[in-house]
Amino acid sequence: MNSVERVKAAVAFQPPDRVPVIAQVFGHAAMLARVPLSDYIRDGELLARCQLQALQYYDYDAVFALMDVNVETEAAGSVLTYRSNQYPFVRSYALADGANPDNLSIPDPWQAGRMPELLKAARILRREVGDDVLVIGCVLGPMTLATQLLGIETTLYQAIDEPEQFARLLDFAVAVITRFGIAQIEAGAHLPIVFDPSASPEVIPASFYREWVLPRLEQIFTAFKQAGSAVNWLHTAGPVTPILPFYPQAGVELANIDFSVHPLDAMRTLPRTSLNGNIKSLSFIEATPEEIADEASRLLSLFADRGGFVLSSGCEIPPESKPENIAAMVFAARQDR
Amino acid sequence: MMDLLIKALLDGDQAQAIIQASKLREAGVGRRQIITDGVEAAMAQLDAKCTVEQFNLLEIMLCGRAATGVMKVLYPPSTPPPQTKGAVVIGALEGDVHDLGKNIFKMVLTAKGYRVVDRGKDCPVERLIDTAEQEAALAIGISGLITTVIPQVLQIKDKLVARGLGHIKVIAGGAALKQTLAQRLKVDFVAQNAFDGLHYLDQMRG
Ligand code: B12
Repeated sequence: MNSVERVKAAVAFQPPDRVPVIAQVFGHAAMLARVPLSDYIRDGELLARCQLQALQYYDYDAVFALMDVNVETEAAGSVLTYRSNQYPFVRSYALADGANPDNLSIPDPWQAGRMPELLKAARILRREVGDDVLVIGCVLGPMTLATQLLGIETTLYQAIDEPEQFARLLDFAVAVITRFGIAQIEAGAHLPIVFDPSASPEVIPASFYREWVLPRLEQIFTAFKQAGSAVNWLHTAGPVTPILPFYPQAGVELANIDFSVHPLDAMRTLPRTSLNGNIKSLSFIEATPEEIADEASRLLSLFADRGGFVLSSGCEIPPESKPENIAAMVFAARQDR
Repeated sequence: MMDLLIKALLDGDQAQAIIQASKLREAGVGRRQIITDGVEAAMAQLDAKCTVEQFNLLEIMLCGRAATGVMKVLYPPSTPPPQTKGAVVIGALEGDVHDLGKNIFKMVLTAKGYRVVDRGKDCPVERLIDTAEQEAALAIGISGLITTVIPQVLQIKDKLVARGLGHIKVIAGGAALKQTLAQRLKVDFVAQNAFDGLHYLDQMRG
């Protein structure tokens, strides 16, 4: 089996030749190639080259055309601060000072901000790996894009004080996300991962999630599926156990679980949804390869009978991680046949 | 009437809380008393409800906002500021943009009678220390959500001591820092949540 077949089999609960391993290597690919992170996230060609080098080095099952959490908001008019070896952040929000989302236009992915560079990365990656390795793009989830357009606190207050305005904001986010995600599929990505940290129960209660986020995720994942997304993958950080029951309705086929989620709880809640995770991100910096190997084999045996599993980190593998730790995770999956 | 104020605050109803506070003022109740028996009492009730497992962020944000609104009405910028329990300088360090937790800590402290000087996010250590010196602060509160800020956290205490400011306490909070012990971070206290930090400050003042 090649990587694409392997991941598809695991997601369909069919036996793959071995458990797929997807390392959430984003900025770490720049570190590995010794290029400044700020160049990596602005230059699609460079990003693709670094991802391919990392693929060659680690030999895992997927590469990412993914920059950071500010691509959509920048394209919609937010201003960012860039630093050489850090991810950028929003200096001024597109919707600060009460601007109305109705007055913003939906960014054209082939024109706006860094979106075209991300599409370029997806195109190069797909050209290079074809259908052997999974090429994964990235969009934000609706809640996270809302908070990235308006600021997280303002967004939460708006949800309570002006629910209609908040609904418009989320709908605008859905339109941006859908268009960008479909463009990524057209450019060559097998799927865009939906990255939604601000929808974490760390931030909003489950009832809020069900009311505001769930119907919109459903819209997004339906559109992606229609556009040919190989797998609908949702990535929400933190202790997500309370919102897992909503995932099937949202159309999630692969659900990321962070280290703070107990895999047995997730399996029980989502018997027919494949899961990926959940080695602690921080341990890629702090632990030893032996510890990572132990954690990986613990996970592999937990999921051995059930299947529907992709071995991963619980969240992004931090840029400054030790390469031998990532290698240890990949090796554990390769060894386990 | 004080009960109505407390209820409005706990409901997170800012407009109602401001109405009740104004009524209390009209009835001749002193500002200090409104804060102690109203705002601080509401915060204490919220505090008692919040444990590490049961922590409703939105509820706290709404109550905190309502309390801040009441304080603004009681002490408009034109009047001399209230007597406070002391100044606390807070911030998120360079490279960290997560600020929700920091802002919650700020609201809790303000509602409990501290004067908070917020240095925002992505703030260099030196700036926090300069501010703490200028404001004669009791403590510096740092919020850290990403582990890359830990090397900065490790410097704070030494830098304070080197500048003769060793008496200023350093409190750490936020997802990345609360996983680590105070000694390892070289700080005086690591708070599991915003109220935990408040308790430490209250205790420290005796
Ligand atoms: C929401 C969120 C975001 C939002 C932040 C919006 C904002 N303006 O704050 C956005 C989408 C922008 C974001 C971006 C990123 N994030 Co983020 N994010 C989160 C998430 C899901 C929740 C954080 C949160 O707001 N929690 C709610 C608040 C209220 O909790 P809190 O901060 O802990 O505060 C409470 C207490 O700790 C306490 N407290 C907090 N500070 C202080 C200070 C003092 C003195 C005291 C006494 C108490 C106190 O008071 C609060 C109430 O009790 C966490 C997941 C998690 N497990 O925390 C990831 C997380 C923090 N993010 C993470 C990452 C990696 C990122 C990114 C780098 C992703 C990327 N590749 O681009 C970026 C860039 C970040 C940067 N440069 O800083 C990682 C950090 C991992 C690490 N390396 O350590 C986390 C842990 C997710 C994960 N599992 O990997 N993120």
